[in-house]
Amino acid sequence: MSGTKLLMTFPVTATSHTLADYRARGGYGALKKALTQMKPEEVTHEVTAAAVRGHGGAAFPAGRKWAVVKLNDGQPHYLCCNADEGEPGTFKDRWILEHAPHLLLESMLIASYAIGVRHSFVYIRGEFDLPYRRLAAAVEEAYQAGYFGERILGTDFACDVAIFRGAGSYVCGEASALITSIEGKKGYPRNRPPRTTVRGLYQRPTVVNNVETLANVAEIIARGAEAYKQVGTPKSPGTQLVSISGHINRPGVYEIEYGYPLDRFLHEDCGGVLGGRALKAVIPGGISTKVLTGAEAESLTYDHAAFEKAGSSLGSGGMIVIAEGTCMVRLLQVMLRFYHHESCGQCTPCRDGMGWLHRIIDRIVAGQGEPADIERMYAISRANDGTTICGMGDAAGYATVAILDKFRDEFDYCIAHKRSRLDGRLEVHDHA
Amino acid sequence: MPELFINGQLVLAEKNQTVMQAAVANGISIPYFCWHPQLSVPGNCRICIVEVEEEKGDNWTDIACNMPVSEGMRVLTDSPVVLAHRKAMLQLMLLNHPVDCGICDKAGECTLQDYHFQYNGAPSVSRDAKVRATKFHPLSDRIVLDNERCILCSRCVRFTHEVSKSHALGIQGRGDHSLVRAVENGRFEADPYSDNVIDLCPVGALLSRSFLHKARVWYLKATPSVCPGCERGCTVQIWHRKPEWKLQALDPRQNTSIARVTPLENSAVNGPWICNKARDLARIFERPRAEHAMLSGAPVALPVAIAAAQRLIGGVEHPVALVSSWGSNEELAAFKECLGGRFASFVKQDCRFEPGEPTEDHLLIRPDKNPNTAGARKLFGDTAPAFHEQTDLVLVWGEGFDFARLPCGAKTIFLNAYQQPENARADIFLPVSIQTERRGHYTNFEGVVSAFEPCFPKDPSIADAEQLFAALAAPPEARV
Amino acid sequence: MKHLIAEFELLKTRLPAGVESSLVLPCLRRIQEERGYVADSDIDGLVDYLGVPRIQIEEVLSFYTQLRRKPIGRWHLQVCHNVSCSMRGAEPILDHLARKLGVAPGQTTPDGRFTLSTVECLGSCGTAPVVVVNDTYHENMSIDQLDALIEGIA
Repeated sequence: MSGTKLLMTFPVTATSHTLADYRARGGYGALKKALTQMKPEEVTHEVTAAAVRGHGGAAFPAGRKWAVVKLNDGQPHYLCCNADEGEPGTFKDRWILEHAPHLLLESMLIASYAIGVRHSFVYIRGEFDLPYRRLAAAVEEAYQAGYFGERILGTDFACDVAIFRGAGSYVCGEASALITSIEGKKGYPRNRPPRTTVRGLYQRPTVVNNVETLANVAEIIARGAEAYKQVGTPKSPGTQLVSISGHINRPGVYEIEYGYPLDRFLHEDCGGVLGGRALKAVIPGGISTKVLTGAEAESLTYDHAAFEKAGSSLGSGGMIVIAEGTCMVRLLQVMLRFYHHESCGQCTPCRDGMGWLHRIIDRIVAGQGEPADIERMYAISRANDGTTICGMGDAAGYATVAILDKFRDEFDYCIAHKRSRLDGRLEVHDHA
Repeated sequence: MPELFINGQLVLAEKNQTVMQAAVANGISIPYFCWHPQLSVPGNCRICIVEVEEEKGDNWTDIACNMPVSEGMRVLTDSPVVLAHRKAMLQLMLLNHPVDCGICDKAGECTLQDYHFQYNGAPSVSRDAKVRATKFHPLSDRIVLDNERCILCSRCVRFTHEVSKSHALGIQGRGDHSLVRAVENGRFEADPYSDNVIDLCPVGALLSRSFLHKARVWYLKATPSVCPGCERGCTVQIWHRKPEWKLQALDPRQNTSIARVTPLENSAVNGPWICNKARDLARIFERPRAEHAMLSGAPVALPVAIAAAQRLIGGVEHPVALVSSWGSNEELAAFKECLGGRFASFVKQDCRFEPGEPTEDHLLIRPDKNPNTAGARKLFGDTAPAFHEQTDLVLVWGEGFDFARLPCGAKTIFLNAYQQPENARADIFLPVSIQTERRGHYTNFEGVVSAFEPCFPKDPSIADAEQLFAALAAPPEARV
Repeated sequence: MKHLIAEFELLKTRLPAGVESSLVLPCLRRIQEERGYVADSDIDGLVDYLGVPRIQIEEVLSFYTQLRRKPIGRWHLQVCHNVSCSMRGAEPILDHLARKLGVAPGQTTPDGRFTLSTVECLGSCGTAPVVVVNDTYHENMSIDQLDALIEGIA
């Protein structure tokens, strides 16, 4: 079933998220190993050796990010766990927060030890209610058990964690915007240089890691990097939690070992497309990743190299399955409406570009499109490519270009005939 | 000192400079809206993007205002990639920008207009309606905001946080519905530096209410001057109608009034800022003028009054002079030379501060509300004015003297530019010119000397104090 | 909001010293939990308590969709209409609610009981369509289930 598991290794029960259950599974053993047998630099070295890449969307090697933070530079360092999970199609960090919050906390403690952090944060999107309550309860359990606070496990290591709830802003999932939100301001992303690992939260070196990226840390320390790398592929060691939704029979969160064939995942593990329909397209990792046609998706193994070669990426692991009969024009409309709504408004290309894209697609859907609109959308996407403060502008552009490239005929039809060839359908119904 | 190449030209930069700073310091122009040498770098307009050449051909682009200089880097500011990018940014910026140029005060000094002509020049490719927003939003009593014209560069917001420290402006909302707004507790209204955001605004979004729709800027001339509002002596530009563009108006004052006042950048005194009092100099300068010499309130010709003054001065034994702290260095020197020997001279503070006026702050405003106390004290010392029983003549030069304090039996010669009831009560009244009618210098509280130039012609019935003092010192038979 | 200050002080125990500004969002959320929205007097109180510029709080209130300065209905029905939810029936649900309650998205029923909103992705795409009622996620919603839900809370 989608390969070896590293995280979803226990049955979910009414108590599997509690400290008692976690400890019974061997929980907090990795923390003990790190604090009592390893130096901080050795922890970072192990995480670097494991070659684990970020699971939030950018896939940046976690160890390399940590290594930028210089221990003993005389200033505070901060660790922020990014639990904002706002990328449409993505709901896998939620699984960890609800069912394995202690795995996250233990990993955060190990990470804090490695990079010299005294105050760590979890930034959790404001809409998450149960995940927040589970995490908050786990934090209290951990404090009571002495895993946070002073003299953890009898060592000199001290660490605190504070949970910050967001308040409804997708852009706060961007690392520097997340930091600015924790500082009590609007979620405005920041320009680099300086990188947040040099000047981040309160202008101090800050590491921002995705929930799942951090969750892997305990496993890496427990098993060791070499054992960790036995799972997955050489360039993509380990696993990915994938949240799959859309026109799929068994949506949900699955753990895929990197290298696992995607067609097997879609058609076997997840039960195949709704109503037995043909697979039209797959958005692989959240709407900000480039869409793949059904045929393209079915030819790939699930790993970074394969997806990059296919001109897309694993992104946030938010896979959306699109069945034959779905109108891609309307799908793009929903996506552009989203980007328009969520643009923070700082920089010219994204602020004015997202609104423009949205107005154009609305017109096309309403039957008032014109041929020049396609070139306009390409031009706006180009104007956002590599020119913005944060990745949101680029992402919207890539997503738009990919859909236009691969489903151009639907757009041409809609413009020429003033209506969608597929009646604007986003749902597909099973007429037995 | 890193050496880099901009468009192939060798540039010597300073260690922690950005490419933008290095370019500006070396006279290389890279367009910008949101960047300002005195404010933090937000990097949001994205028009200053430049191209950096790499050996392997993997050139990259990024904003110059946030790009640290590095040894040997090769920057291109006008490559095809950069030019295409600028056009694209301008297209986007103009997407929702209203075509208000015909009625917008900023026309002629608008960065967006200038860059459009220089870097784009193409009509919009959009066929969608522009996003509408508030026009004529009263940001304060003094400033009107047009949100449709606003390009959200955030200069105004940063100014209130970093320079004036009123923290009074912000950006509400998000995306293309973001709106600049003032804080709801009135702090922007009370910010004495608020009007600097008008200069900072690169487009016609922030406009002065008092200047609104008064004149096209290309019909106006900017004359360098010094604000007389306090001892800081900020250098300013006084804008008034160019003589060759004078209006054929019934009221000649339309051609001899102050249209607006803006800062004259001065690294030794005020940088690029001035306070609102300087903006309102018309209120000070354009008060009703004293136009006729008088003897005990009866109008006479100027030479008659001067002759009377010569006789009076010649005949007294204990004259006291109250010297104006608004006098220019030249006028003060003339007084010292011509009359300083005869008169016991004291420096008078012409202006006290008005109720509600800020006394002193972290930025420019100083407690002494006179422009040349330093220049006057240098010549006449800083003893407080004092009369004694034998004082038989008091020469008051300028405003601010409480005539109730006149010793009994002393005659008065009063030199003043403005209409006041006291003018008629003086034994001899002589109308004098104001700063905008002549050239001169003031010395500020730190000893910096700044120059002002004349803007308007002087009425012939009014005297220049500098020449007047020479005349008053002459023996009575001498002709003026 | 003065009576909440004791609670706010507790928040500080796990934060580094001297980061009052970081308390802005947690305090606003807590104030809104109690009052249903953030009042002008709350803003003034928070400015006094935290020492941050008032404009910062005004900006934050205008930026984040979950924070509001005006009261809404007793039951806030938030329908996700992003990609996966739209692919699994969000639009008919939204239309149904709008007709049933007689309001458009963004409006409150005249009796003040229900406010209908559209929201973007809630991180629950696998159980689409999703409707959040106040703070609680209601997943795998059908029109019938929604009707039953509304009967239940009305």
